Amino acid sequence: MPLPKIVARAAGLASEAGGTALKQLQHVRIPGVGQASVTDDPRTSARRWRAVTVLTDPDQLRTATPAPLAAFGDRLEVRVSQAPGDRGAELAARFRGPVTEEEIGELRSALREAKQLVEVGEVLRNEPQPHGHRKQTPQGKVLDGVIAQAPKEGVL
Amino acid sequence: MKAATWTGVNEVSVEEVPEPQLLNDHDVILKITQSVTCGSDLHLLGGYIPFMRAGDVLGHEFIGEVVEAGPAVRDRKVGDRVVVAPFAACGNCWYCEQEQYSLCDNGNANPGITEGLWGQSPGGCFGYSHAMGGYAGSHAEYMRVPYADVGTFVVPEGVSDTRALFASDAASTGWMGADLAGTKPGDVVAVWGAGGVGQMAARAAMLLGAEQVVVLDRVPERLQQVREHVGAEAVDYTTTDVLAELRERTGGRGPDVCIEAVGMEAHGTGVAGAYDQVKQQLRLQTDRPTALREAILACRKGGSVFSLGVFAAMVDKFPMGALMNKGLTFRGAQVHAQRYIPELLERMARDELVTEHLATHVLPLSEAPRGYQMFKDKTDGCVRAVFQP
Repeated sequence: MPLPKIVARAAGLASEAGGTALKQLQHVRIPGVGQASVTDDPRTSARRWRAVTVLTDPDQLRTATPAPLAAFGDRLEVRVSQAPGDRGAELAARFRGPVTEEEIGELRSALREAKQLVEVGEVLRNEPQPHGHRKQTPQGKVLDGVIAQAPKEGVL
Repeated sequence: MKAATWTGVNEVSVEEVPEPQLLNDHDVILKITQSVTCGSDLHLLGGYIPFMRAGDVLGHEFIGEVVEAGPAVRDRKVGDRVVVAPFAACGNCWYCEQEQYSLCDNGNANPGITEGLWGQSPGGCFGYSHAMGGYAGSHAEYMRVPYADVGTFVVPEGVSDTRALFASDAASTGWMGADLAGTKPGDVVAVWGAGGVGQMAARAAMLLGAEQVVVLDRVPERLQQVREHVGAEAVDYTTTDVLAELRERTGGRGPDVCIEAVGMEAHGTGVAGAYDQVKQQLRLQTDRPTALREAILACRKGGSVFSLGVFAAMVDKFPMGALMNKGLTFRGAQVHAQRYIPELLERMARDELVTEHLATHVLPLSEAPRGYQMFKDKTDGCVRAVFQP
């Protein structure tokens, strides 16, 4: 294999490793270092409600499911309830059938986007950003993988 | 455009980077007038917060002029001279409604990283790693600021750029520490760290009515600034036993309020200081809590301890027994600057709060690497290095 291809392949592997490392961070159960949301077996994980609290009248969410969640169609169950105190509405969703970790990641991202659309009116964008030269180091590629996966990861 | 970037551990460069663009309707683009180093940047520089990518633009404490505004921006216009909160906050979520802006639910585009680290994601901070949102920072000629109506504040005429600059972070962070720690008239307040934030925390405590304010540090120039510009007492912790000194100054009680403005790279003396250094270098603890530990031990029974210094993950030998058995209240926070900047600007306009002395070195942006080196090494009396693009 030519050298540039080997380097590119290595960089790709490092980036994948970063994304995987971020997934694993959610599984770590050392107190204070992450909390697991996906340590369940796949069946239990798929059935778990994932929720965000949105500062809005619950009826607004009951009337119209936010577009990022509506895009999943019948594959999702969506539940809206009044949050305690003055916190607005709890917007929860889960898949009806078996799903992959990637799809659960897409649901996390969709819930966050739904909350932003209701509260702010738009989804925060962060690319493209000004930056200088990106050194192609293994650590850098690992971090690239972490960043790419970050919107879909977390404890949600 | 030119920008100062992180290019590796303890390596800052000035590079040519693309100009920012409006990405969201609530954005503005600023032409940066002044941008200043912050002690918390040193944790990024040193690699203690391992989410910096080579080429990331540094800087989160700044002032500038609006040169472009998105279609949803209502209260700012081209030409406004504004100082900016370091954390991007939407202004519409429950946390923003509670004025806890640095906890904004909608300010961090990479929530998976910090949720993994801390259980929940706080807001995003400019120029402060991909864990905190991956925003390009302010050490540049131009910068994009999202949620502009919430996070930018028009500077009153008569307040200089260099004074207003520190309302962004140093003064607002210091004020927040004194305020949220519950400082009230008659209190004795001790502040660990005489950098910009520590000095401003001391000044805030005085303005909130504290009867006695003591600031602890080891750098002579900083201690002198405390005496000369803040009007508080200054103690060199390397020449005295801090706990004994504070007991002696407080009738044996200990300070009512202890504000820690040092963070994860605290220096210490004796065995405790060496222990923390070794453990951090061996990565057996991520953060050195030397000053925080001392603040908890020094605080009077039933008193209040506030952590303003930045910590990233885990500390060792945390005096939980003292915290619990002395009945202390312990709080910490990244800065809710949007809550404090308007009041700070008013106080600056009335000359109650002066900050220009913190800007010991005002340099062109091209000299950012030298500025950071002086700031890190605390050479030439450097308290803060201010960059002018």
